[in-house]
Amino acid sequence: MSTDVVSARRRRTLFIYVGYLVALMLFFGPVLFMLWSAFRTHLDITSTPLDVTSALSADNFVRVFDRFDFGRYIVNSVIIAGGSTALGLLFGAPAAYVIVLRQWSGLAFVMLLARMAPGVMFVLPFFIFSVAVGAPSNTALNYTVLVLAHVVITLPLCIWLLVPFFESVPASLDEAAMIDGATIGARFIKVALPLVAPGLAVAVTLSFVFSWNYFLFALALSNNDTIPLPAIAFTFIGEGQSDYGGLMAASTLISLPALVLATTAQRWLVRGLTAGAVK
Amino acid sequence: MPAVSTGPPRARGSGTSRGRSRRRLALRQRRHQSSAQARLKGTTWLFAPAFLVTGVVVLLPIGYTFWLSVSDRQPDGSNAGFLGAANITRMFDDPLFWQSLRVTMFLFILCLIVETILGVALGYLLSVDVRGRRAFQAAMLIPAITAQVAVGLLWLLIYDPSLGVANRLLGSLGIDPVVWLGDPDIAPWSIALVDIWQWTPFMALIIAAGIRSLPSDPFEAAGIDGASGWRKAWHIGLPLLAPVLTVAMLLRTVDLIRFFDTIYVMTQGGPVNSTNALNVYGYRSAFVNQDASYAATLQLALFVLVLLVAAAFTWARRRFSVEY
Repeated sequence: MSTDVVSARRRRTLFIYVGYLVALMLFFGPVLFMLWSAFRTHLDITSTPLDVTSALSADNFVRVFDRFDFGRYIVNSVIIAGGSTALGLLFGAPAAYVIVLRQWSGLAFVMLLARMAPGVMFVLPFFIFSVAVGAPSNTALNYTVLVLAHVVITLPLCIWLLVPFFESVPASLDEAAMIDGATIGARFIKVALPLVAPGLAVAVTLSFVFSWNYFLFALALSNNDTIPLPAIAFTFIGEGQSDYGGLMAASTLISLPALVLATTAQRWLVRGLTAGAVK
Repeated sequence: MPAVSTGPPRARGSGTSRGRSRRRLALRQRRHQSSAQARLKGTTWLFAPAFLVTGVVVLLPIGYTFWLSVSDRQPDGSNAGFLGAANITRMFDDPLFWQSLRVTMFLFILCLIVETILGVALGYLLSVDVRGRRAFQAAMLIPAITAQVAVGLLWLLIYDPSLGVANRLLGSLGIDPVVWLGDPDIAPWSIALVDIWQWTPFMALIIAAGIRSLPSDPFEAAGIDGASGWRKAWHIGLPLLAPVLTVAMLLRTVDLIRFFDTIYVMTQGGPVNSTNALNVYGYRSAFVNQDASYAATLQLALFVLVLLVAAAFTWARRRFSVEY
């Protein structure tokens, strides 16, 4: 009887591992192929795509930095993703705190609208506005417009992610601080914020990656000086057909924050991606 | 003689224990209410910046889009004024609009069904505690958080008609090469495959979290009654999982109806508009055809579609959710 149970469990474990193998080949295989191709020559990738014995080198990366101003694009991406994340958190954290305190669903609803509205709906008004203020020809203004546009992504995300964290802070702590005479600002900064520190980390990392990845706003709103990685990679496609190695190196560079995140902050990421879906 | 006497002595009569406790309760409630009120004092200032920013970057653009859709903006930036519903009638008479709606619905339904079915299977794998589960989960996370542009470029290479991996693999099986993105009959399926690849693991992660939070009692009871594993999964697991499934499907639905990035990177709506989803059509109307007012109308139609489908989902969830 008990050996039956053991062998049934063994069989199930084996079944799971076979499933792992299939799933890894299907879903992780292409990512691996991208990373691997980034270190191979165009000729190798296209003539013997799955030959594991072909030579590896970092030439593709050297070339994209050499021929294109890749350092600049990375800096642009950092400015835009970093700026919009900072603003999203700066406005979003107090808002999430108040939403929980007031048990307010009105703003949550507006956030849901922002989550559901198609991006082009924002990019068109933003584009018209940016042309009206002369942003296409002014680098500082252009960065500002891009950061503000990305706040459309980061602010709802920060609030959405932070509300459950603030909900888990016991109300008695807030009351106690109030009885001790703490102002609302002190209660927020000194009592609530330290307790939601993990939530802040989740919000920062996810906002940064989502903003970094976002393609549409950069495509429509940036100029030659402010263009970030995803938008510039799009313009490579034309030349790509003759240089898949360089294209995969560019893709790898764009994917870097996400890859780092998936391996280091996995638990938070699962929680953030599934926020609201599962209690 | 009460053991502890607090406060001033009260007049006889009103001091029955019931009356006293009721008054005390009322007092406590009032105190509680006032403390709840006091806790909210000054919160406006914490909230105002987010409110303002939301107004400027979210509500104002939505409102402006609405204005664009009922007016006649020219490519040179001037506006010829109020048009009323002219753009909407134009949209209903526009065969390209109906075509793009068909593409959107095709991608939405195909991807949602496949992602849900595969997501349940993969979600089961992700839910079982075996050694290496975390590492496996990390690998499964990567497609969903990889930038869409990188995903698009990667699949352009895989789909390359003469040089790509896909046709080489087919070739080694003796199958003729497929024109993945160049054939209007095949391109929508190729695009759907990319989305399924990218988002099935995401569905699976949500479903796995749902499976892991299921109560074990019903399964044990059914096991004692002699139900097989499959029967347990189908008759107990799936109904219990329905709320999580609908939320996961809703999240995908909202994104699928707004399908844009992958298409724009890989085909820009072509060939012959076969992948010209509504969102892509809206973007091209604005930035390629320079027709802002009509683009705004298409975007509003898309927004309404998203809201309608989301509302239908929410309704179905309330209607069919079973309490256990």
